[in-house]
Amino acid sequence: MSKYLDLSIKEIHELLVKHQIKPIDLVEEVIDRYNNNELNAFITMDIDGARSRAKELEEIEVEEDNLLFGIPIAIKDNINVNGLKCTCASHILENYESVYDASVVSLIKEKNMIIVGKTNMDEFAMGSTSETSYFGPPINPYNKNKVPGGSSGGSAVCIAGGIVPFSLGSDTGGSIRQPASFTGIVGMKPTYGRVSRFGLIAFASSLDQIGPMSRNVYENAILLNAISGKDEKDLTSFKTNEDFTRMIGEDIRGMRIAVPKYFVSDIVSPEVVEIFNKNIELLKQSGCIVDYVDIKFIEKAVVLYQIIAMGEASSNLARFDGVRYGLSESGKTIDEMYKKTRTEGFGREVKRRIMVGSLLLSGENAKTYYNKAMAIRDDLKKSFEEIFKSYDLVLGPTSSRVAYDLNSNNDNPLSGFMDDILVMHANMGGFPAMSLPMGKINELPIGLQIMGPMYSEATIYKLGSYLESILGGSND
Amino acid sequence: MTDYKKTIGIEVHVELKTKEKLFSPMINNYGSLANSNANIIDLGLPGVLPTLNREAIDLAIRACHVLHCKINHHMHFDRKNYFYPDNPKNFQITQERTPIGRDGYVEINDNGIKKKIEILEMHIEEDTAKSIHAKNNTLLDFNRAGVPLIEIVTKPCIKSSREAVLYLEALRELLLYAKVSDCKIEEGSMRCDANISISNSDKLGTKIEIKNIGSITNVGLAIEYDARRQEELLSKGEILKEETRRYDAKLDKTILMRVKETGNDYRYFPEPDIPFFTIDDEYINNIISEIPLNAYKRREKYLNAGINTINVDKIIANIDICDYMETLNDVNLKTASNLLLGDISAYLNKKNISIFETKLTPSKMKDLVEKLDGNIISNKNFKEIVVDIMESDLNIDEILEKNNIKNVVDNKEIESLINKVLENNLNVVSDYLNGNERSLKYLMGQVMKESHGSINPAKANEMLVKLLEVKR
Repeated sequence: MSKYLDLSIKEIHELLVKHQIKPIDLVEEVIDRYNNNELNAFITMDIDGARSRAKELEEIEVEEDNLLFGIPIAIKDNINVNGLKCTCASHILENYESVYDASVVSLIKEKNMIIVGKTNMDEFAMGSTSETSYFGPPINPYNKNKVPGGSSGGSAVCIAGGIVPFSLGSDTGGSIRQPASFTGIVGMKPTYGRVSRFGLIAFASSLDQIGPMSRNVYENAILLNAISGKDEKDLTSFKTNEDFTRMIGEDIRGMRIAVPKYFVSDIVSPEVVEIFNKNIELLKQSGCIVDYVDIKFIEKAVVLYQIIAMGEASSNLARFDGVRYGLSESGKTIDEMYKKTRTEGFGREVKRRIMVGSLLLSGENAKTYYNKAMAIRDDLKKSFEEIFKSYDLVLGPTSSRVAYDLNSNNDNPLSGFMDDILVMHANMGGFPAMSLPMGKINELPIGLQIMGPMYSEATIYKLGSYLESILGGSND
Repeated sequence: MTDYKKTIGIEVHVELKTKEKLFSPMINNYGSLANSNANIIDLGLPGVLPTLNREAIDLAIRACHVLHCKINHHMHFDRKNYFYPDNPKNFQITQERTPIGRDGYVEINDNGIKKKIEILEMHIEEDTAKSIHAKNNTLLDFNRAGVPLIEIVTKPCIKSSREAVLYLEALRELLLYAKVSDCKIEEGSMRCDANISISNSDKLGTKIEIKNIGSITNVGLAIEYDARRQEELLSKGEILKEETRRYDAKLDKTILMRVKETGNDYRYFPEPDIPFFTIDDEYINNIISEIPLNAYKRREKYLNAGINTINVDKIIANIDICDYMETLNDVNLKTASNLLLGDISAYLNKKNISIFETKLTPSKMKDLVEKLDGNIISNKNFKEIVVDIMESDLNIDEILEKNNIKNVVDNKEIESLINKVLENNLNVVSDYLNGNERSLKYLMGQVMKESHGSINPAKANEMLVKLLEVKR
């Protein structure tokens, strides 16, 4: 079996340009690898579509300036790809087929990448283990008894398992970064609005952001280059016209780094703190200035997340009612039809969040909870912005512990949220944040998170790429 | 024993006449094939996001201006969450916290007594799909889903059904002439709900809402009916509950739809997909400067031009004709209005088209009016050529030639023709000079006969009298 997919994107591109391989060779390798593992990373695999797209690409000249030409990519199953099922890992959309491309998918197609399938996830992206998937959880390639993280678990696993070099995830409260941490890959949640959300099935609209997942930092930046930009269809999107790889390789000496004391407090397991501190030492030795700081409201993120995300979710998921698409159970009255469809169609966690969210927005509760949460969210954002006046970046571990056993969270609906205790701030503030591997504990990977002020992705990639290089990761 | 007073508030939904929908680039058009004007956004498919149609904001600013509302400079939208099959996302995007307009008024004139009907607020929101109930099924037409609406809410300051009707007529005229909406109640582009309570004390009575009343006249009738109904119940000692009713015009009755539950819970929160936005004074003033002349000012102008009140009312009631009047420069509006309200309207009604779809350009109209005023052509001539005028690209002179209308317009020619007639009828002339008025009619007939009808009769009559008087 060929091993082209283990090469760097630059090397693969070189082979394509020199006509030593064709896109179909990459696609066949993806299919082989997909067939030879049981990671349950995909909900839909589009083998025929990928093959025919690869064949079509043979008809055109390989674009020398487009590193992504002919490269396979997997898409999280809450992002619409025209003609493919888009299930959100839910029974209610089990047979729902997209009738349009998300804007991000249009960009991927313009780059002549090859979409091979739709990845497994927590139902409607609600969870941090991917276990709430109606199709069963994807498996962590490092240990099949461990969770891969979530909600973009499938998108992380398909890269960690070597099936594809790229995937798209979505991140509402850590859903790209936490699975990246658990599976040893690189995942970026860009600045809110950096990537169009048009075509992403909304969970919490003010927090959701699509982002690239990849094997290394450089390739992550390449993919972000391809998918970012202003989209007329998404009023929250924006354009900056920049190359996110441009600062990679620059000298990191003198970079000012803040580590919130909260991120290395007793909410994080000692082994994780130990590895993290080793990385900080390396950065200091490399000339970075590192301070441990207090950030106001930092401990409020989980509560804010629960109120805001669930409130918005209760509204966003109202459209799944059996009237126009998706699962539809019949009833004697319209109310009975709604009730049966939604009772049958949604899983436990989704129903729990819809109910809590509805309650939080109900009557006076909206003022007591939602409006107050939005106000504190603003304060939290400001306190981070205050830090960013003095520091280039904020660092911490991505997750408080390594991947844990499957089915260990099931009885406690709150423990899952605690997994995201270190990553939700980026969603609250709209800040970009990336997780990259920083080491292993008991053969299980753990990620380091780099967060920056709005629009600072290039700076994050610069430091991330440096760290990756001194830790021995691949960096082409 | 008791004298019940009515307290009435009115809510009006008006569809804005935008090219596209409020949150999607789909065409906004009434009367298309069902579901042909609905895209993925209008259908609320998973993953779609709203965009914001600036034209809707602009028209709402116009509406605010003509209703004297204060305009909100910093705005956002809110989600109103409720489940209903005609509501594709199961939330409606509306403005709960920052309505675009507040504290306005509409002035009504009740037999010379002026009163301001106060407007509490005006907000922008999206329309729902249209439910069509067919036997055991409900069909949904999403053409209407996402059409921009403004909702205009009065304070409970209306005291009678007459005031309510006058308010709605005035409101409709203001919005129509600001080109905000076509305000057609029968097509649903203007929809009226009335809230009415009665009380014989200082305390307000129980509010009854009458929804979606089919015409302005019916709003008055519905209020009258329901006030009588409430009074009968109260005089029997019954206690009223808050209800939603509808008005059945055939029965002249309001009919219970549902009793209102305790406080609807719409779980409002700010729409996260549409960022807050700001409109500044310069922007607002630009929009306001584009508002066409209102009906009040047009009415004044027409009265000053010597058009009678009845005809002015007729013009104002027909905005198409009225807009056409506004295209006329340096034209005798009185003559023009007679033509427009007479044979031209008859022609338009017969063809069921707008005057703007005809070949009657303003310059052609000007020529026509001048020819009529100058007695170059007669009204009779005009009737003969009206169809050509409306349908042909030819100018008036060419049309006259084509229809073989050659009027003698040269005074000397007319004079010699009349003199010839007088010479041939000396007896009749002397009859006339002796005071026989009927002789004039005979002579006039002879003149027209001699000229084969090619002299303008008014002109001929005038000259005939003049030449006869010379002989005195």
